[in-house]
Amino acid sequence: MALGLLVADSGGATFNGRPYRDLPEPTRTVGAVLETAFHPARSGRNHLRVYCRAAGYPIARADEVLQQVGLADAGDRRAGGYSLGMRQRLALATALLGDPSVLVLDEPANGLDPEGIQWLRGFLRHLAHTEGRTVLVSSHLLAEVEQTVDRVVIVGAGRLVREGSIAELRAGAEGAGSVVVRSPEAGRLAGLLQGLGRHVELEDASRLVVTGTTTEEVGATAFAAGVELHELASRSSGLEQIYFQLTSGTEQYAAAPAGSATLQEVSR
Amino acid sequence: MSALVRSEWTKLFTTKTWLGLLLGACALAGGFAALFTGLAGEDEGLPALDDPVYAELVFSVAANASVFLLILGIIGMTQEYRHRTATPTFLTTPRRGRVIAAKVLAYALVAVPMALLVLAVTVVVVQIYAGARGDAPPLNADNLQTLAASGLVLVVFTVIGVGVGALVRNQVGAIVGALVYLNVIEPIVASIGAISGAYKWLPGGAVQAITSDFEAPDLLEPWQGAILLLAYGLVAALVGTALASRRDVL
Repeated sequence: MALGLLVADSGGATFNGRPYRDLPEPTRTVGAVLETAFHPARSGRNHLRVYCRAAGYPIARADEVLQQVGLADAGDRRAGGYSLGMRQRLALATALLGDPSVLVLDEPANGLDPEGIQWLRGFLRHLAHTEGRTVLVSSHLLAEVEQTVDRVVIVGAGRLVREGSIAELRAGAEGAGSVVVRSPEAGRLAGLLQGLGRHVELEDASRLVVTGTTTEEVGATAFAAGVELHELASRSSGLEQIYFQLTSGTEQYAAAPAGSATLQEVSR
Repeated sequence: MSALVRSEWTKLFTTKTWLGLLLGACALAGGFAALFTGLAGEDEGLPALDDPVYAELVFSVAANASVFLLILGIIGMTQEYRHRTATPTFLTTPRRGRVIAAKVLAYALVAVPMALLVLAVTVVVVQIYAGARGDAPPLNADNLQTLAASGLVLVVFTVIGVGVGALVRNQVGAIVGALVYLNVIEPIVASIGAISGAYKWLPGGAVQAITSDFEAPDLLEPWQGAILLLAYGLVAALVGTALASRRDVL
């Protein structure tokens, strides 16, 4: 919608103050990877040349971006024979043709093998931090996103749910500042911590989740009472947990209300 | 616009579809020219080599190869949707009307040398084969006009193909639909007395009006047919453009 492919019922989106279709050289401003779309019989290099010509870039740009995404050796092979990871790279190369200041990537890690994902992570960081581009990634691979991005926008059922840096989201999430303790004397430790006014949940016979405290406080309490500890860790909420907390109940395609309730519990 | 036309040519010539269709068109035109020449005067209903009707028949048979160029145009447009390259294409050129206009122009221009090749194959086959059988038709004004008319049909059908592709978008649907229309619907319309009067206004009727004035039941003048056919090509392209600009690209 932002790129003018779909007609919005209302509202609009602008890049540098202009709707996408009014940009004089749109692919110089915004490079987008929305799907990995190629004619299977056309080589990767020729695919790129098509869009070089259409946008008026020198044909040599095709070779430059192939190099950039590490496809230089495969450039003359038919795109139909590419692996999923190579397709993602070719799509990324297409988006980079115009050397845009903004990149919009839809699920760029889909179909990548572990090496490919690691490469993509480094490449996106390089584009954003070293080259100073804005990189907008939409993804459902939240663990992956967490390792790559600076700021997160969570959208649920078509509405903005939360926006901020990962640290900000973590701070605002439920369970922030909770500590997980494992001890053979969990019951005794629970009593001591409750005595300090902390909220303690006994997860099972040897495991506690304490909220409103720090690892230092729990450690000191245990040490003073001579309680043996097997594990002491502060629990930071993962992006996935934050996501479920924020979107539960609004998810459009949730299997059933019971389903989202379960998800919420898991996140606690 | 010239950048977009060149981009369309790059698309066209970086797959082999065009080659297959061009060879098919040449084979069809050359093959039927040879068949008519071989049977001229021998088979009942086929005029003899020295009959001007033979010359007109054999030089207008090239127009039948238009079906290959129609398919070329259809594939040229529908491949964008079939292989989803419409997305990068319309991202590069958000003014979609410009894309379709460039495609129409690129395919019309490419169809000219292709049509010339098909005509050249026809002429060479006829000159050699009919010459060997004793009497090659002269390339006089009449026969050149017939050849030019066939060439015009070939080019216009390419443009119609692009327009049909923009309208229908589904490649198989567009090709099957176009073939069913040309080979089933039009002949039936022409054969039913009550509605056969409409035939001369249809693309097939226009083609017949342009390329032949014998065995013509009720047809337009050749120049009228040419205008009508051009109008079909332009209308298909314009409606296709209007639709492509409004439809969502998924």
